[in-house]
Amino acid sequence: MRIYTEKERAWLWLNSVFGSNVASADQLIYMNDGLMALFEDALAGRTLRCPDQLKERQRNALIKNRANYEIDAMISDMEDAGVYAVTRDSEDYPKLLREIYDPPTVLFVKGRLRSDVKYPIAVIGSRKCSDYGREMAEFFGRELAQEGACVISGMADGCDSIAAKGALSVKDCDYPTAAVLGTAINDVYPSSNTRLYDEIAARGAVISEYRPFSKPQRGSFPQRNRIISGLSKGVLVIEAGLRSGTSITVGFAHDQGRDVFAVPGRLNDLMSVGTNGLIKSGAAKAVFGVDDIMYEYGVFTGYRHAPVKVADLSALSPEQRRVCEALINGEKTADELCELLGMKISALNTYLTEMELSGIIKQLPNGYYAY
Amino acid sequence: MLAKLNSYGLIGIDGCPISVEVDLSRGMQRADTVGLPDNAVKESKERVRSAITNSGHQYPEMRVLVNLAPADIRKEGTVYDLPIALGILAARGVFPLHAADEYIVIGELALDGQVRSVTGVLPMVIDAHERGFRNIILPYENAEEASFFADMNVFPVRTLNEACGHLNGTARITPVPPLKWSGQKHVYPYDFSEIKGQQAAKRAAEIAAAGNHNLLLIGSPGSGKTMLARSIPSILPELTMEESLEITRIHSVAGELKGRSGIVTERPFRAPHHSASIPALVGGGSRALPGEISLAHYGVLFMDEFPLFPTTVLEALRQPLEDGVITITRAAAKTSFPAEFMLVAAMNPCPCGNYGSKTKECRCSAMQIEKYRGRISSPLLDRLDIHVEMNEVNYDDLVSKQEGESSASVRERVNAARMRQRARYRDEGILFNAQLNTPLMRKYCRMDEDAEALLHAAYDKLKLSARAYTRVIKVARTIADIAGEERIRKPHVLEAVQYRGLDEKYWGSR
Repeated sequence: MRIYTEKERAWLWLNSVFGSNVASADQLIYMNDGLMALFEDALAGRTLRCPDQLKERQRNALIKNRANYEIDAMISDMEDAGVYAVTRDSEDYPKLLREIYDPPTVLFVKGRLRSDVKYPIAVIGSRKCSDYGREMAEFFGRELAQEGACVISGMADGCDSIAAKGALSVKDCDYPTAAVLGTAINDVYPSSNTRLYDEIAARGAVISEYRPFSKPQRGSFPQRNRIISGLSKGVLVIEAGLRSGTSITVGFAHDQGRDVFAVPGRLNDLMSVGTNGLIKSGAAKAVFGVDDIMYEYGVFTGYRHAPVKVADLSALSPEQRRVCEALINGEKTADELCELLGMKISALNTYLTEMELSGIIKQLPNGYYAY
Repeated sequence: MLAKLNSYGLIGIDGCPISVEVDLSRGMQRADTVGLPDNAVKESKERVRSAITNSGHQYPEMRVLVNLAPADIRKEGTVYDLPIALGILAARGVFPLHAADEYIVIGELALDGQVRSVTGVLPMVIDAHERGFRNIILPYENAEEASFFADMNVFPVRTLNEACGHLNGTARITPVPPLKWSGQKHVYPYDFSEIKGQQAAKRAAEIAAAGNHNLLLIGSPGSGKTMLARSIPSILPELTMEESLEITRIHSVAGELKGRSGIVTERPFRAPHHSASIPALVGGGSRALPGEISLAHYGVLFMDEFPLFPTTVLEALRQPLEDGVITITRAAAKTSFPAEFMLVAAMNPCPCGNYGSKTKECRCSAMQIEKYRGRISSPLLDRLDIHVEMNEVNYDDLVSKQEGESSASVRERVNAARMRQRARYRDEGILFNAQLNTPLMRKYCRMDEDAEALLHAAYDKLKLSARAYTRVIKVARTIADIAGEERIRKPHVLEAVQYRGLDEKYWGSR
């Protein structure tokens, strides 16, 4: 059980009123000559100097929640949820995060939060990623963890969770990954990620600025993106389409002075428009492998680029080889293969299944096959 | 004075003989009907009275008692108007009392004495023929539906007086000549040659048709799912007479033959809208009538926008899909209807339809997609033997000169495959591979060692359920039948597995 200092209790009190509304909390602290002065005034029942826009409800809450039992109730809530709180004045509050313009007053943590992670790198990307995005997210997640970096992600579907899984797959890494939630700390969203949540909590940390059992609010997801970039030294964008949530995180990263990296994609691929655009405009550094990222922080890993796939077709039958060669040149539908190779669909189907079962090719949505 | 006539009723889709007894006795003028009549039958006495007077006869000023026997079967509908009227007239002496003994009489009366058509004639005629009746008097419009037996005399009547004239011998009616069964040539509104590209889907449809397998089509909007489904009847084998009679029976009971003549000679194609209720789909209502799945018996049940059907409706499909028959229990009736249909289900890959598209962006959230697909439960998915994706169609495909294979030539292969199945299962009481059960599969689905090993690998890799596994074997059986081979070999299994790959791709997470 964590013992909270008087200062930490003051932060908890403030957080119980303002939640993630950091601007109002900071303004109140400023008008009352610091947090502790504010807290003492409140405890002594003196009139507080409040900003005009402060709501009646919040004024009342400031008075009501100052009581010791209210703060104790909040702490016991956290214990019920199996989490603890780290405040701005706690020893283990991440140093990088403290530097940003609006650091959260309190972070709720499941697992263990470290203040001095050496290479925290955020890995983000679309929720509905392509096959390529899936592969790259896994690759970079794993490689980063191998280099001793910590993968920071949002645990969303798609790139985020795949990168986290990639990092977790590195067994000898001490602190492979941390996830920042946009929901209450004990609320797993999407629910299919429950197992991932537990694994991250066991080996890294799950973080949220929303206290246990609170309801999700509008805009909480974009807001947590500032924490993802704030915790990190650099932000790696795996894949981003036309209008993507990743642009919000990239915006925060630029404002906070973080490095932005992007994985290049094919030019004519809708799913890579965002990442390629970042590279073109100079907003992000194109990375081919984890070495390109670590180099920025003075770590020389040697050549670690994503391997270019080279086909080994020697074990295939002549027909299968022809199908394979056609697919290496690009994804195709069964129709296109039939026409291109002059094969009958019944025969083609047998080749496709056989190669699929042996993992040489795979099916993509909408009837496409890919090598 | 007592008169007795033979008529017919229905229990489910089977006919059952009803005898109509009319007794005239002294007393206050009134009419009563006994013997579990429903409302339409109770009202019959009013129509009969008007029809008799308006045909120029005198309605007896006596007490009229009508008994419908056996008295413990519920009598429904309007078929008893004509026999009751003739019974009264016989009791009055308009024609000899026993002139109608050899006849079965059915028909509804209009107030002016015209005879109107009724539903369910074919099952009645089939049962009557079995019981040795050889003469039947029925409404003119139902004549073709009934004239199926060469040794059955069907006397169609337009009015009450025509029936009287026939029975007292003054104006005999000539029986209609029996219909000859011919595998009629049909013109189908859709042909396979009109579908450009979509080789995989067309091949899947061919296999489905050959073994009467269920088919799931997944594709973006406008990829031609509906068109493919609608052209499936054109590759199905022609109906045999037995099949045709059974289809007609069901349609006759459901009153679906109105405005059409004779028996059903085309395979039914039913496409219920996704707002359909459970009774509409599987059958029911207070009278326990057949639903869409029974009306699609030996034909195609096409369910477009499959996930949009209420989940309860979809789950209700599971049992008939497995058994080929549906039993409906209602307060008034308990009935079984055959439902050996081929289910063709179509769906988009996601709610907006653009999931996986190369040209359009999908705007659905992961949650929406999961919800949409999740509406199809895995037990239901397992029962859909063949899954196939339709490709996006681009402009080049639409204007491509290359003509696809015509329905007629596909049908030839389907016919040949079905012949093989029919010959093989002659003694088993089934018609096609989809109906195989486990003992029969052990007997008829022999596989090469290669094929067996492959199936095992696929089972592990695709994480198939036990049911999906047997479905793959059945599909492989059909593919071998199309190829004209008795033993299932590796290529057949390989192709069959291809139609199961989407399980993992679309529903893999569960």
